[in-house]
Amino acid sequence: MNNYFKEIFKGVWEKNPTFVLGIGMCATLAVSVSISNALWMGVATTFVLIGSNILVSAIRNITPSHIRIPIFIIIIAAFTTIVDLALKAYQPSVYKSLGIFIPLIVVNCIILGRAEEFAAKNTIFNSILDGLGMGLGFTLNLSVLSIIREITGANKLLGYQLIPGMKPALLMILAPGAFFTLGLLLWGMNVIKARTARFKQTE
Amino acid sequence: MNTFQMIKAILVLTIIGFIAAFSLSFMNKLTTEPIAKQNQEKKLLSLSLVLPSYTIQKENTVTIDGQPFTYWEASKEENKVVKKAWAFIAEEKGYGGPVQSIVGIDDTGKILGFTILSQSETPGLGARCTEIASNKTFFDHLFKNNGSDTEQIPWFQVQFIGLDINKPINILKKGDWNSTIQNILLQQNAVTAITGATITTKAVTLSIEKGAQKLKKALTLHEVKQ
Repeated sequence: MNNYFKEIFKGVWEKNPTFVLGIGMCATLAVSVSISNALWMGVATTFVLIGSNILVSAIRNITPSHIRIPIFIIIIAAFTTIVDLALKAYQPSVYKSLGIFIPLIVVNCIILGRAEEFAAKNTIFNSILDGLGMGLGFTLNLSVLSIIREITGANKLLGYQLIPGMKPALLMILAPGAFFTLGLLLWGMNVIKARTARFKQTE
Repeated sequence: MNTFQMIKAILVLTIIGFIAAFSLSFMNKLTTEPIAKQNQEKKLLSLSLVLPSYTIQKENTVTIDGQPFTYWEASKEENKVVKKAWAFIAEEKGYGGPVQSIVGIDDTGKILGFTILSQSETPGLGARCTEIASNKTFFDHLFKNNGSDTEQIPWFQVQFIGLDINKPINILKKGDWNSTIQNILLQQNAVTAITGATITTKAVTLSIEKGAQKLKKALTLHEVKQ
């Protein structure tokens, strides 16, 4: 039981996709402008991630290693298109606000990275847990980034104005703001990691 | 690599490609109807939005400058006088792709309504052209339960109502639209740009101006035929 939790939790902290592995950056930087975008993007990516992990893991023993990349891409593209069509048909307003970033899940390196690094080497059940954890970590990253950026850059939270009449710092909602926030969060995370490591040493 | 490995690779790739194609075509079949229905509903809703209280008479598609141009004719009776109005689809390249909108104008050339059909602008910037403004703050929403918002039309689209398409539409940078700057904007036949997305705003105003010219051409063509 403990092992399963570890498998999920590693995506959130120890092997966090954006902050530790450094993958999935473009989607993180682009979509984290509002919390609702961030959550839907997280849900869509998690679905594709779990689906592709399951399939990649299921066929890992019959996949010839020299053509594994095209096979992974086919699987990921199929799942992404399914999400794309489903959102278009049943959640048109979400599809409208996320726009181009849903089809771009195909090239999100988190998914290909996890297929290559984890799902191709582990059992189906572990791959599901890995996908769930990584998706959770990714959603969390997006949410934290987008909360900071939506408050500072648009003076809003969940689409509602925070302080009436105050001019927001527009820079924060543009690309540079994403880099600043990401940098600060990375710094904070590394400080916490260094502190815990030192604490363990002195024990 | 021996022959057996090669055949195996081809076989595996083919089977996986086949399964993917099959599941996608199934998904496509499943969603075609809801998507088409949604588009149709959206179009009807947009038409009733841009031509309030008018009844749509017919839809026309003509070729102008080698491109198809769709417009609708509508009319209503007011004090026993039949008033005519038209709606047309305007399209222009924005920052992230075409911005398509539908515009309703009355017989004096005033914009009756304007709504954006599709756009692929940057989320948080240009995509705010479809944003629905709320006049409540986050804390109001949390702590005061004073009903739902009455404002349902996005602020960017509201400001086009009442503009004159016979004059060029100006762009001012006055921040987000609110009812206090409405008069200033109407006097100058102008809209306020979306902060950080002037290109999107320009694309919209340009598409309306071009579309209005096309509509005039289409109407004269129509008269000549009769």
